[in-house]
Amino acid sequence: MAWRLAGRLGHLLLVLWAVVSLTFVLFRLMPGDPTLNFLSPSFSEETRAALLRSFGLDRSIAEQYVIYMGNLLRGELGMSFLQGKPVAVLLADALPNTVVLTVVSLVLAYAIGIVAGAFLAFRRGGAIEAAAIPAALATRSAPEFWLGMLLLAALSFQAGWFPTGGALSPGRELGGFGAHLASADFWWHLALPALTLVLFSQGLPLLLMRATMLEVLNDEFITMARMKGLSRWSIVMRHAARNALLPVVTAFALGFGASIGGNVVVETVFAWPGIGRVLVQAVQSADYPLAQGAFILIAAVLVTMNSLADLAYSLLDPRVGRHARG
Amino acid sequence: MKQPLAALALLACAALPAGAQTAGDPVRPLVVLTEPQAASPQQYQAAEMIADAWRSLGLQVQIRPLPGQQFNQVVWYERGRWDATTWQMGGRPERSDPDELTYNLFVSANIANGYDFVGYNNPEYDRLAQAQREELDLPKRQALIRQAQELINRDQPYAFLVHPKNLVAFNRAVWDEGSMVQQAGIGIRNFWTWIGLKPRGAQRDVVLNSVAPPTNLSPFNIPGIQGSWATELVWDRLMRIGPDGLPRPWAAESVTRPTPTTVDVTLRPGMTWHDGQPVTIEDAVFSLQAPGFGDKAPMYRPFVANIANVEATGPMSMRITLKRQDAAFLVSSLSKLNLAPKHIWAPIFADLQNKPETAESIMERVPVGSGPYKFVSVKLTDQIVLEGNPAHWAKPSVNRWIMRITPNIESTLGAMRSGEMNFLTDYTGDPELLAGLAKSAPDIRVSDALDIGFKFIGYNHRRPPFNDVAFRRALSASVDREAIAADAWGGAAVPSNSWISPALAFWAAPGIDKQVPGGTVDAAKAMLKEAGYVLVGGRLHYPAGVKETTAAFQ
Repeated sequence: MAWRLAGRLGHLLLVLWAVVSLTFVLFRLMPGDPTLNFLSPSFSEETRAALLRSFGLDRSIAEQYVIYMGNLLRGELGMSFLQGKPVAVLLADALPNTVVLTVVSLVLAYAIGIVAGAFLAFRRGGAIEAAAIPAALATRSAPEFWLGMLLLAALSFQAGWFPTGGALSPGRELGGFGAHLASADFWWHLALPALTLVLFSQGLPLLLMRATMLEVLNDEFITMARMKGLSRWSIVMRHAARNALLPVVTAFALGFGASIGGNVVVETVFAWPGIGRVLVQAVQSADYPLAQGAFILIAAVLVTMNSLADLAYSLLDPRVGRHARG
Repeated sequence: MKQPLAALALLACAALPAGAQTAGDPVRPLVVLTEPQAASPQQYQAAEMIADAWRSLGLQVQIRPLPGQQFNQVVWYERGRWDATTWQMGGRPERSDPDELTYNLFVSANIANGYDFVGYNNPEYDRLAQAQREELDLPKRQALIRQAQELINRDQPYAFLVHPKNLVAFNRAVWDEGSMVQQAGIGIRNFWTWIGLKPRGAQRDVVLNSVAPPTNLSPFNIPGIQGSWATELVWDRLMRIGPDGLPRPWAAESVTRPTPTTVDVTLRPGMTWHDGQPVTIEDAVFSLQAPGFGDKAPMYRPFVANIANVEATGPMSMRITLKRQDAAFLVSSLSKLNLAPKHIWAPIFADLQNKPETAESIMERVPVGSGPYKFVSVKLTDQIVLEGNPAHWAKPSVNRWIMRITPNIESTLGAMRSGEMNFLTDYTGDPELLAGLAKSAPDIRVSDALDIGFKFIGYNHRRPPFNDVAFRRALSASVDREAIAADAWGGAAVPSNSWISPALAFWAAPGIDKQVPGGTVDAAKAMLKEAGYVLVGGRLHYPAGVKETTAAFQ
């Protein structure tokens, strides 16, 4: 197990190094430089040179890379070109918003998906299934921005039940993130973006759960349970569903990792101040340090969640670990 | 041997279409650069309409959208590479004086690195631009500016397209419509409105929007257009551009010009910084000197470039000595430079001297100015919150000024409808959508005002045939500006033929927008024919004997 963990860690570090190096090089391969995004292009060469010097971009790419990696090893992500603040501070500001949005929406989506998937497998062939499967597929395949705009139009613009965007009402100031979590205003603002993600995300666990359940329900131990005269509820929930959960748990971990960086669209539609918006704005304005920091964070979460999913899988199903050991 | 060759040449000529014998080389395929459609739908559509018109003249035209950073890089820093480009000059209060654009856009000294990126070179224009800069007599300067516009109309260094209208909206159930101030060329979204706005009820917070986040806010940084809305409220300036477009004393009690190259300023008494310290004449002197300290405030340095000396002449007075006469100094420098507290910024500048960073990158934890609003909180990707400064002589009736950063324009319109937002300040969407909102929500009042800025196609004079005045005039003539204003800008623009907007009526040459040469595609064809250009098989060729020596844009 120790070797397995060490291997995983090595793999994780390798992937992170590749992500850091690729993003570092890709941004610098783009034509022009960041000064063009926020400096009037008509400023003199002298002005531009002074700004490039202040960003450290007057050095060769190799020098910049060595400096950046050295800083990174010391835990320094640098300063945002545009906002003049440490990247770590800006990411730390945005990350809790994204984590709350992701956790709330994924937990709800997976809870709904698992229960609905199990139910549909059990009631296979009925009218409910005939209506529910296309509905799940439709919400799964609908673009997130479209779903978000529909919800905004219906529940915010027309009904006026929810705010149109942001994490707090205009001008509202709260202290730390704990104060946000304790504020009804925060949860009221979270409702629509979370609902969008719930609708978008529930399709996968639902379909996965249903497919796995259908397999499990044909297994011999289920037949045995029926022969023993166990109740239908007991057969579905205690025996079939528990065994069908394994791939869904894995999908949850992977979905969480992907969502941290994948909420870009929802965060933009609802002006939700999370990592996705930070990333979009940083890329648009060629704010290299901020964009690199956001990419590293997203990659770290994604790779970590993948590794956790892998470990969870081997813990939940000992056969996986045994196969790995050969 | 010679006879067969001559016969072959004759045969070849006979095989050519009519006109080919008297034509030069075919004009190479021309490329029009533009921003991508998603970034600037109006400009992209205008480029398509223009390309169609030019194709009907026999030119092969391709539109090449480039992402923002690459677009800027190519147009401004690879000046020999491109043929024509869409571009724009934005409306800013300090452009209420025509000097900045008159001088910078077309004076040949700016061809290599400055604003004259198209490479227009006309000594006659250079003389006029310099003369207006030095002319302190207003009517005489007006005549010079109008003469310059006539000259540019003749030479058509650009195809001017439109002057856009600024579309803004506010909730008149919240704000007294009579307290809105129209500023020439800016509209009601301006400094004077923010300090004069009167609430009609209990709601005293003005909640406005910005589509894009500003950069860091500091008295020595130009944080984009939206960021400037906040910085001009927090940091006072010695002068301000008034609603009439003319400079007026602000933090200065008086500003006089005893000689053409000296400016005497008396500071308004009793001002304090937001941290409670008094605003002194040393602060004012420092604010005008600091941008010139080495290369630590490069964005503001050009605005003090003409200052030879600044010194205090009394407890509340100072004298500015200029290197040369400058008619626009009060607008371009005194109405632009922020007053910054010396006790905060002098140590910062001293510290910066041994570092690569510049003052632009420094943002105080709580920025301190002396203006009518104070900073409460700043989260550049989310919102900026200012509050009225009760100690200011022009203290606003508004409690808080809250700028929300909302990238989704539809949700911004929804926020206006629901009342979450009560001032729509940054709208780049379809004008019809906004009109629809005002129709369905009677409290929403839309205001449009002609902007100081303008949109245009820049011709690269370094690359033939754009170095030929006749060719440029013909291309300009083929552009249907009325259709572009109506279709591409949805009516939220007026046709343009000058860099000076009709909003600046004192400076704009009367009727210049109607003086575009030709005005139709047929007239453009006739102009090209007269200049010797020849249509061969539907493709435009140079006049006889002219070779195509320029490589197509790649």
